[in-house]
Amino acid sequence: MMDSKSSGNDLLSLTRRNFLKTLGTTAVGTAATQVESVAAELQKLNAETIVGPAPIPIVLQVNGQAISIEVEPRVTLLDALRNHVHLTGAKEVCDRGTCGACTVLLDGQPIYACMMLALEAQGHAITTVEGLAHEGQLNPVQQAFVECDAMMCGYCTPGFLLSITALLKRRPHPDADEVKHACAGNLCRCGTHPRIIQAALKASGVSVTSQTEVIRYADLA
Amino acid sequence: MKAFQYVTAQSVDSARDWLGPRASYLAGGNDLLARMKEYLADPDLLVNVKSIPGLADIEPGDGHWTLGAQVTIARIEQDPQIRKLFPALHEAAAEVGSLQIRNVATLGGNLAQHSRCWYYRHRDVVCLKKKGPTCFARLGENKFHSLFTGNPCISTVVSNLSIALAALGAVVLVQQGKQTVRWSIADLYAKAWDNPIAHHSLAHGDLILKVEIPVEPGRSAYGQISEKGAFDWALVSCAAAAVFDDGRVKQARIVLGAVAPVPYQVEAANDLLKGKKIDEPLAARAADRLLAGAEPLEHNGYKIPMARALIQRTLLKLMG
Ligand SMILES: Cc1cc2nc3c(=O)[nH]c(=O)nc-3n(C[C@H](O)[C@H](O)[C@H](O)COP(=O)(O)OP(=O)(O)OC[C@H]3O[C@@H](n4cnc5c(N)ncnc54)[C@H](O)[C@@H]3O)c2cc1C
Ligand code: SF4
Ligand code: FES
Ligand code: FES
Repeated sequence: MMDSKSSGNDLLSLTRRNFLKTLGTTAVGTAATQVESVAAELQKLNAETIVGPAPIPIVLQVNGQAISIEVEPRVTLLDALRNHVHLTGAKEVCDRGTCGACTVLLDGQPIYACMMLALEAQGHAITTVEGLAHEGQLNPVQQAFVECDAMMCGYCTPGFLLSITALLKRRPHPDADEVKHACAGNLCRCGTHPRIIQAALKASGVSVTSQTEVIRYADLA
Repeated sequence: MKAFQYVTAQSVDSARDWLGPRASYLAGGNDLLARMKEYLADPDLLVNVKSIPGLADIEPGDGHWTLGAQVTIARIEQDPQIRKLFPALHEAAAEVGSLQIRNVATLGGNLAQHSRCWYYRHRDVVCLKKKGPTCFARLGENKFHSLFTGNPCISTVVSNLSIALAALGAVVLVQQGKQTVRWSIADLYAKAWDNPIAHHSLAHGDLILKVEIPVEPGRSAYGQISEKGAFDWALVSCAAAAVFDDGRVKQARIVLGAVAPVPYQVEAANDLLKGKKIDEPLAARAADRLLAGAEPLEHNGYKIPMARALIQRTLLKLMG
């Protein structure tokens, strides 16, 4: 833990006008009814106010639901999702932005949840693997993963599902190289890549068999 | 990582005001948060600079384009006009990390990121760059290290964008105290050439605001070679840009990455190309000039033939 007493004082002496400015703007005087716009308002009000190091209230928009939690500024989006929102689909492996197990979508774009502070994810729509199925129906990518048997231990699977779901939204009919490019930031330790690429193609409507060549072994030789 | 306080700056002035001696600017966080997790950095306050108005804009122009420091690398990669006008920048951006990183990482953070030397990045190793007594890479594992340096640290510049921007003749606008200074990419890294502790020339509190890229009527290209086919740092990278007059080079810049603590340029190599048509023999001679005086270490000698091939490949790419 930092020595919050001494540094807190230093900070206060540093800040002055903006701090005072924000103090003037007290109550959340907003007609907004939706929680997300309240969150956006709150974020604006908080703009030039120092928060932390103690936990602060934040609102995350996860899989279409606004969720209020209290976390320290140092808590990453990944830890917030797993330990505070209790959605453990996003996995922690490297915690350094190098493996993709923690991939979630932020406003539809894949990001590493381990490399983003939870409080910075406020005001954005977050999608985790738990948000892909609708009313008990797997999404086409999930369904294709099952049909192609595209996983072994499954630890990398949520990340791949999100990267591929985002890709198909951008490009409904990618080729194998485009799938590889979109998944370059997701690693599978078990080596299921050929099946993952097949599953992505299948989800996009290509009819694949176990013979569909997605890795040109001749190129590797 | 240690606990810290957090604030979002809404203007350049207030970002600088907040930045006391124990504070750090936070952009995409890909570099800074990783260093904090390793206890290489332990700021008491993070000053989020992503909400400063104007710094996330891409401004086209006839004379030059201006990219705000907070523009993400994904936006640079995906902009169709940038791809057309500044192919070197597009190609360099497309090779940065993975899509997940590019979606968040910023231009300013990419330019200001710290060394990736594996000794530097180890929390228990206090090398020269961390004000320790010695460089461990010199006698240790140095396969990713420099062929050229002006100081005892042999770590290399790792920013892809810096290599492309140097070739494109970009100018970096840096807020320094009350004034905005205009630096070339060479200026932005000059300090890292001489000083083992420096990663770039920015002093604590200096804020990169924007990057201006002149629109030149020529062509540019970038290439890199890595161990993996994707999502990997460059072993060597090369960017080149040239303006042609009737098929002959009027003016050219060639830049090597991952071989020195700075984007590596040799005036004599640029001069060699002037007035000539680029062909294979000329590209080979340019490579000789760029690589003259390289000092390979125990494990990085492979970078010399690799760089030679990449320089030729990149120059020939300029011919279309
Ligand atoms: C696994 C992995 C692989 C990567 N591969 C590559 C690669 O191949 N090529 C490559 O070029 N990069 C690579 N990167 C780096 C990445 O692209 C980011 O660009 C970089 O980490 C920093 O960008 P950021 O916006 O996240 O900066 P941050 O982490 O927020 O900041 C980095 C540093 O810059 C400072 N800073 C940020 N903005 C400014 C500003 N406007 N003015 C002054 N200082 C500022 C911060 O205080 C901090 O010290 C990789 C990163 C990871 C994690
Ligand atoms: S190369 Fe530089 S960063 Fe790496 S061990 Fe030597 S002094 Fe440290
Ligand atoms: S856990 Fe986030 S990338 Fe590995
Ligand atoms: S299935 Fe085990 S890591 Fe991918």
